[in-house]
Amino acid sequence: MNKRYVMVHDENKCIGCQACNVACRSENGTPEGVTRLQVRVEGPFGQAPNLHFKYHRVSCQQCEDAPCVKVCPTGAAYVGEDGIVTIKEDKCVGCMYCVAACPYKVRFVNPETKATDKCNFCKDTRLARGELPACVTVCPTDALTFGDANEPDSEVAKLLNTKPSYQDKIHLGTKPRIYRIPTKRGGIES
Amino acid sequence: MIKLDRRNFLKGAGAGSATCALATMLPGSLAALENAPLQGVGKEVASICEMCSTRCPISARVVDGKNVFITGNKEAKSFGGKVCARGGAGHSLLYDPQRIVNPLKRVGERGEGKWAEISWDEAYEMMATNLNRIKREHGPEAVAFSSKKGSLSGHFFHLAKAFGSPNTFTHGSLCPGAYVIAAKSMFGTKLKRDLGNSKYIINFGHNIYEGINMSETRGMMKAQSERGAKLVVFEPRFSVVADKADEWHAVRPGTDVAVALALCHVLITDKLYDQSFVERYVVGFEEFAREVKAYTPEWAEGITDVKAKDIRRIAYELAAAAPHAVVDFGHRATFTTEEFDMRRAIFAANVLIGNIERKGGLYLGKKAKTYNKFAGETVAPKLAKPGVEGMPKPTAKRIDQMDKQYTMVWKNGGVYQSILAATLEAKPYQLRGWVMSRTNPMQTMTDRAKVLEALKKMEFVAVCDVYISETAAYADLILPESTYLERDEEIADKSGKNPAYYVRQRVVETIGNTKPSWQIFKEVGDALGLSKFYPWENMETLQLAQMKRDDKALRHIREKGYVSYGKPLMLREPSMVAKFIDTYANARKADDDGTYASALKFKTPSGKIELSSAAVEEFAPGRGVIRYRDAPLKRADELYFIQGKVAVHTNGATHNVPILANLMADNAVWIHPVTAGRLGISHGDAIRLTSSVGSETSYAMVTPGIRQDTVFAYMGFGSKNKELIRASGKGLHCGNLLPDSTAPVVGMNLHTTGVKVEKV
Ligand code: SF4
Ligand code: SF4
Ligand code: SF4
Ligand code: SF4
Repeated sequence: MNKRYVMVHDENKCIGCQACNVACRSENGTPEGVTRLQVRVEGPFGQAPNLHFKYHRVSCQQCEDAPCVKVCPTGAAYVGEDGIVTIKEDKCVGCMYCVAACPYKVRFVNPETKATDKCNFCKDTRLARGELPACVTVCPTDALTFGDANEPDSEVAKLLNTKPSYQDKIHLGTKPRIYRIPTKRGGIES
Repeated sequence: MIKLDRRNFLKGAGAGSATCALATMLPGSLAALENAPLQGVGKEVASICEMCSTRCPISARVVDGKNVFITGNKEAKSFGGKVCARGGAGHSLLYDPQRIVNPLKRVGERGEGKWAEISWDEAYEMMATNLNRIKREHGPEAVAFSSKKGSLSGHFFHLAKAFGSPNTFTHGSLCPGAYVIAAKSMFGTKLKRDLGNSKYIINFGHNIYEGINMSETRGMMKAQSERGAKLVVFEPRFSVVADKADEWHAVRPGTDVAVALALCHVLITDKLYDQSFVERYVVGFEEFAREVKAYTPEWAEGITDVKAKDIRRIAYELAAAAPHAVVDFGHRATFTTEEFDMRRAIFAANVLIGNIERKGGLYLGKKAKTYNKFAGETVAPKLAKPGVEGMPKPTAKRIDQMDKQYTMVWKNGGVYQSILAATLEAKPYQLRGWVMSRTNPMQTMTDRAKVLEALKKMEFVAVCDVYISETAAYADLILPESTYLERDEEIADKSGKNPAYYVRQRVVETIGNTKPSWQIFKEVGDALGLSKFYPWENMETLQLAQMKRDDKALRHIREKGYVSYGKPLMLREPSMVAKFIDTYANARKADDDGTYASALKFKTPSGKIELSSAAVEEFAPGRGVIRYRDAPLKRADELYFIQGKVAVHTNGATHNVPILANLMADNAVWIHPVTAGRLGISHGDAIRLTSSVGSETSYAMVTPGIRQDTVFAYMGFGSKNKELIRASGKGLHCGNLLPDSTAPVVGMNLHTTGVKVEKV
C-alpha cells in the first residue's frame, strides 16, 4: 500500500452550499433518504457580534484503523490496495455491525442494494476514470482538496505542511484521513 | 449514443414512490408517460445552466446510462469549472415525474386543479382565438407579456412586439432592477465588480456566499483567501457572508443608505477622495458634496445603530485601500422605497475612491466592438443580429409609462407589478390577457392575494413553464417547455474585461411532448397569422446568422461551449494596458501615464459620471441629487420582516425539484432569543407572522444571529398549490406578507415590512 489518499476540508473557505452533497448524489446515484455526504452548518456560536458558524463535513473518514472493517464478520468491509475503506456489496449480509461500530455515524444501508454504503472517495466512479472525486470537482470555493499524501509534491501534502489542520475524534485511534482546516474567527485565513 | 431507460433515471433522480403515485394522477406529467426512451446526445456536452439566473457555463454528461453529471465548464476561468448545488441538481428537474410534458387545458374553475391534455395544435388554436379576440375588441395592448429575463425571453418579447403590445415585463422590478437603473442614471450603463482583485470589500447584505453567483462568489473568496482582502458586512442577519467577514455590523433594516452616505461624507469632508478622478470624470460633485455635509457618521449612528467611530474608521480604511477597493452594489432585495438613492449612494462611494476601471474596483463590460477598436484588429467576432423588417410599432403607451418618473425602467423590464393596478382598477387602462414564460409572480411578486385576484380577473391566461408552477396553476392553458438540458439556444455574450461568448446546447434528447420556448412562440406567431415576422427556421440558422455564416467559428464555440477572446483589459490599469499593447501591434497608443484613461467615456448626457443628474431631476423632480429620506418600514409594535436567498434554491423556481426539495423543504423564521423569550416562543415552536396584508405560519429558529427587532426567512417557500407536491404548504410564503408597494424612479417591488409574531 503505497498510496495514502486523503481529503482536506478547509472550513475557512467552506460556505456550506451543499454543491458537494448534490454532486456526490448525482455521481454515485445515492438514493433518496440516505446520503454519503453532508456539510452541516452549525451554530452560530458565541456572543453577538462575535458569532461564528461551524462548517462540519459529515462523511466517511477513511480511517486508517477502521473499526467498521474490524467488526465485519464476512470481509465485506475491507481496506483496498489503495488504502480506501470499501464494501463488497455481494459479501455484505446487512448485519449492521459496521454501522454500529463507526464512531462517525456515516454508514447506512443502501435501500436499493440492501448492502451498507458510504463515501468511498468515488473509488469506482471517478477515481476509476482518473478523475477527482465529485465533491472536490464542483466545490465553488475550492474548499476541498484530494490526493495522495505520500506524494510530497501533491496539493494535499503541501496544504497539510503549511496550514494548521485537525481530524475528528482522533482520541479513538481511528486515524481518520479527512483533515480539516479550522475557521479563523472573523475573515478568512490567508 | 447511450440508450437510457426511464425507470433507471427516475430512480437515479431520487424520486420517492409516494410522490410518484401522486404525480401519476396528474395528466400531462412525466409520470403519466410510459416507455419514453431517453438518449444523451454526446459524451460530454458544454452548455449553460438555467437553475438560477446567473447562467453559469456547465459541462454535462450521461453517466453509465443511469444519470447525468453536471459540473462547471473549465473553459470559463472565472467560473473555475465549478457548479453549485442547484446547478448540480439540474437532472433532477429533467427527470422529475411531476414535470409537465404535454400541453394542458384548464377544465375546472381557474385554480381548481382540473386539467385535460390537449395537442399542440389545439393549444395554438386556443392562443390564437383568445389573443386575437382581445386584440380585436380591446387592442393588442390589453394583453401583458411577462417573462423571466434570459436567453429565450427575446423570442417571447418578439412575439409581443409582432402582436402589437407594448406591455412586456421581466422580473427586473422584483429582483435586480434597482442597481441596474441606478448605474444607468450615473454611468449610462451597467457596471461589473472585480471582486477577485479587491483588497477591501464593503458589502451591504449582498450574500454571495448563499445567493451564489459563481464567478463573483469565487472572486470574493479568492480576494479573501489569496489576497488577504478585508471584508466588512452590514446586514441585520448573521448570514454566511457575515460569518466570513472580518467585521459584521447588524445594521437596522433598510438604513444601509445612511451608512453609505456617511461613508461619502467622511471621504469628502476629510478629503480622502480621489480629487483628480472626480475632476476629470465626474459632474454634479458640488451638489452632492453640499447634500452629504449633513450626513455625518454621528447622524448615521442614530438611524442605523452602527457606531459613528466604526463608520469613520471604515471610510479611512476604504480610502487607504483605494483604488483596489469596492463597495458592492448588491443584488436582490428592495429594502425600502428609497432604493434608488440607496444604490446610487453606494455607487457614489465607489466613484469617490476612483475605483472605476481599476483592479479590484468596478468596470465596464468590454464587448467585441469596443475591444476590437482598442486592439486595432478583430480579436473577437462581432455577433450579428438578424433583423426583421416591418415590425409593428405599438400605438398604445405602456401601462407603466404614464408616470414620467419610471422613464428609465421600461428598458430594464418595466414595472412588473403595474399589471395588478391595470387589471384590477383599469389604471391606466384595462388589461384582459396575460401570457407568461418561466416567470412566477404568484411567488415572487408581493401581496399574493392581489396577484391572485388579478389572475382571476383576466379573460385569458397562458403560461409556458416546466412545472405547474404556483402561477401556472391559475392559467387557462399551460405550454410545456423543454428544460435547458433538452434545447439549443443562440450564442450569448458573456464579455467581462475582455469579450467572451457561450452557448446553451442540448445534453439529452427531448423527453415527452415538450418544445423549446423559442419554438413554441414562433408557432404561436404562426397561429396568430404573424409568420412574416419569423424569417428563421430553427436555432441553427439563427446561430449561423449571428456568426455571419462563419461555420468554423460557430463550430469552435459549440465545441468549447465558452470562448474567451484576448486579454483582460481595464482602461485605467497600467499593467493591463501594457500587456494589451504588447499583444496587439496596432493597439491604440497609451496616454502619457501608460493607461487608456483618456478613452474612458460614459454613455450619459454629459459623457461623464453624473453624481447628480439633471436628466433624473427632469423626469423625477427633487431626485437629481442623492439624498436621505426617511422611509418607515414598520409600526412601533411590529418587527421588521426581511428575506434572503439560500444556496440550494432559486427564488420562485426550484422548490419542487426533487433533490433540492429533499435538501431543504421549508423556511424556519429566525428570531432573536430575547424577542422569542418576550413572546414566549421556544426553538421549533409553530409561530404565526401577521402583516398588513396577510398571515403565514412556520416554525421558530431561535438564534443570536439576528437583530432583536427583526425576523428573517429564506424566500420562495410555502407554495399554496397542491400541484407542486413537494413544496406545497411547506414553510411560509413571503409574498403573502409583503404589501404591494413600489419604490419611486426604479419601480421596484418592496421587500421589507412590519409583522407581528405570535406562538400558535
Ligand atoms: S461544496 Fe465546498 S463550499 Fe460547498 S458545502 Fe461542500 S465543501 Fe463547503
Ligand atoms: S468513518 Fe466509519 S465507515 Fe468510515 S472508515 Fe471510519 S469507521 Fe469506517
Ligand atoms: S453490514 Fe455488511 S459490511 Fe457491515 S459488518 Fe455486516 S456484513 Fe460487514
Ligand atoms: S469522495 Fe465521492 S463518494 Fe465521497 S463524499 Fe465525495 S463525492 Fe461522495
